[in-house]
Amino acid sequence: MRRFAPRRAWAIARKEWRHILRDPFTLGMALIMPALMVVYFGYAIDFDMKGIRALLVDRDHTPASREFSRVMSASGFVALEAPAPGEGPMQALDLGRAKAVFTVQPGFARSLAQGLQATVDVDMDGSDNQTATTLSAYLAGFQQAASSRLAQPPPPALRARYLFNPELSSRFFIVPAMLALVLAILCVLLTAMTVAREWETGSMELLLGTPAQPLDIILGKLLPYLGLGLATVAVVYALARTVFGLPFAGSHLTFLLALLLFLIPCLSQGLLISVVARQQVVAMQLAMLTGMLPNFMLSGFIFPVESMPRFFQVATMILPGRWFVLICRDAFLKGSGPLDLALPFLMLGLTGALLISASLARFHKDLEP
Amino acid sequence: MPAVEARGLVVRFGDFTAVDRVSFSVEPGEIFGFLGANGAGKTTTIRVLCGLLHPSAGQAWVDGVPVEGDLKAVKARVGYMTQRSTLYADLSVDENLAFQAGLRGMSAADLARRRGELFSLIGFAGSGHELVQSLPGGLRQQVSLAQALLHDPRIVFLDEPTAGVAPEARARFWSLIRRLAGEGRTVFVTTHYMDEAEQCGRIALMRDGKLIALDSPLGLKGSTYPRGLVEVDPGAGDWRTRISAESGLSQPRPHGLRWHLEEQREGAWEAFAAAQPGLPPWRRSLPTLEDVFLKLVEGRP
Repeated sequence: MRRFAPRRAWAIARKEWRHILRDPFTLGMALIMPALMVVYFGYAIDFDMKGIRALLVDRDHTPASREFSRVMSASGFVALEAPAPGEGPMQALDLGRAKAVFTVQPGFARSLAQGLQATVDVDMDGSDNQTATTLSAYLAGFQQAASSRLAQPPPPALRARYLFNPELSSRFFIVPAMLALVLAILCVLLTAMTVAREWETGSMELLLGTPAQPLDIILGKLLPYLGLGLATVAVVYALARTVFGLPFAGSHLTFLLALLLFLIPCLSQGLLISVVARQQVVAMQLAMLTGMLPNFMLSGFIFPVESMPRFFQVATMILPGRWFVLICRDAFLKGSGPLDLALPFLMLGLTGALLISASLARFHKDLEP
Repeated sequence: MPAVEARGLVVRFGDFTAVDRVSFSVEPGEIFGFLGANGAGKTTTIRVLCGLLHPSAGQAWVDGVPVEGDLKAVKARVGYMTQRSTLYADLSVDENLAFQAGLRGMSAADLARRRGELFSLIGFAGSGHELVQSLPGGLRQQVSLAQALLHDPRIVFLDEPTAGVAPEARARFWSLIRRLAGEGRTVFVTTHYMDEAEQCGRIALMRDGKLIALDSPLGLKGSTYPRGLVEVDPGAGDWRTRISAESGLSQPRPHGLRWHLEEQREGAWEAFAAAQPGLPPWRRSLPTLEDVFLKLVEGRP
């Protein structure tokens, strides 16, 4: 009686698959929302700021000062303009028409020629923290570029090379992680509804009246959503490769394995929520709370796990999203072998086993006559 | 061997006793009605008998199989149609049946055979491809019944199968119930409709978890109202105010537009009526099941 029957699990999986195919909402959530989110985040969240508006006040008016402004403009990171006639440079900052003002002090060329310190003052709009920080990081680059052009002799240069993401493009960094994030949220959300819906509509009584076992039901419900999750990945993968031109450095096989190891705990998390909540509204809220929030904030999608407080570094070990963000970035950009990913694989496998067992145990208790 | 037997069945949920020492037995082929107010313990009793809930105390058997024993054997013997439709509205009729067959481990050939038999039983003329949500309520209930009968159970539990269904469809559903009983199946049915209860072989009445009466409809009427009833037509109502404790009569209770009351001793009504000028026309009448239900279940005279 207490035995698992693949036939029953298959019957449930087929039924569940039909629910999915007939529900435009589920299909849209699984296929269109991820595509939109990836496009949106891929395009809109661009940590690489280019063309930051800035004013150049040249008080030196020498070939050297003009060369300096040319070097800065050529970088593409700032769009330099001269101050409008009759407008003080600070006024432009006030009005938000520029984020920074570069002032080349008089005597710039003379100091350079004499081998002395030549000064350019930079006033930045500190109220826009993000831009100011980025700009500060660029300043060293400007200085280096200007020095190599203008100083005699040129100072020694530190030349950085960024491996795996040569252009240090944040899009390359965001899109793979976005895949992990979207999948984590989606899988938890979709499966969180399934068992709760059966309780709500009363069809759970029908399942109970048959010889169906908790394991049949849990596996029967996992399977179709696993398929749906894979379809989501296919959509995002295609977008990443074509629209965003991402490389794929890793092995597709390793990635597929990681994908399955990741989908199982996410789907099981949703099922556990569903089994516990029994109501779709409650399940939805729990899914948002436990699926969306931690994956958004703690997975390393935005904030690197390494720079979190020690507590979160340890606590996020059980968060499947954390490992899959890592795996995704690795698969697209770096291409490590399965052995390098042993820890993430192990943790994903453990979390999955844990969550399935928890839903089963809880479900058993509910269904026990 | 009885088809269904309960002995001293008790179900407690925490401090609440939903079913309190209930015993009865149902013969094969019987239409057994289960009546009671909402929350009286009818559904809980049925869930125990279907093997969905273990009793806190007592024992029960379906077709000779103890409900706490081999659940697979229990579930193979009983069909259960719950209060709320258990059909998936977004699936077709055939898909619902195929799902049920898959869970029951039925072969494709068995499914096809039972599908044909059941479609002809309920007179379903559709293709089977129609989505359940597109079916009218009465038909949906009949398909629901077909689903409960798919695995050919000897005993069917129908929990308010006709709630919210049009009268014509209700009548049709009851003709199906009679056909099932005619095939030798035991039908265990709950209802709130007294005209449906009249069609049961025997009726069990539940109140607050206890079984308070169990008899045929006729037997129940006789034992609840040994002296029959007096029915008074509508009209001037001041006679009602003159009924006192000494009159040996129960307080009149509205029955449609008329009034029903009961004698507490032989001849009490004639004695009272003789002294009432302007009393509307009256007659002695047989109680209906509604009278029985109101007196026993709701405790009204």
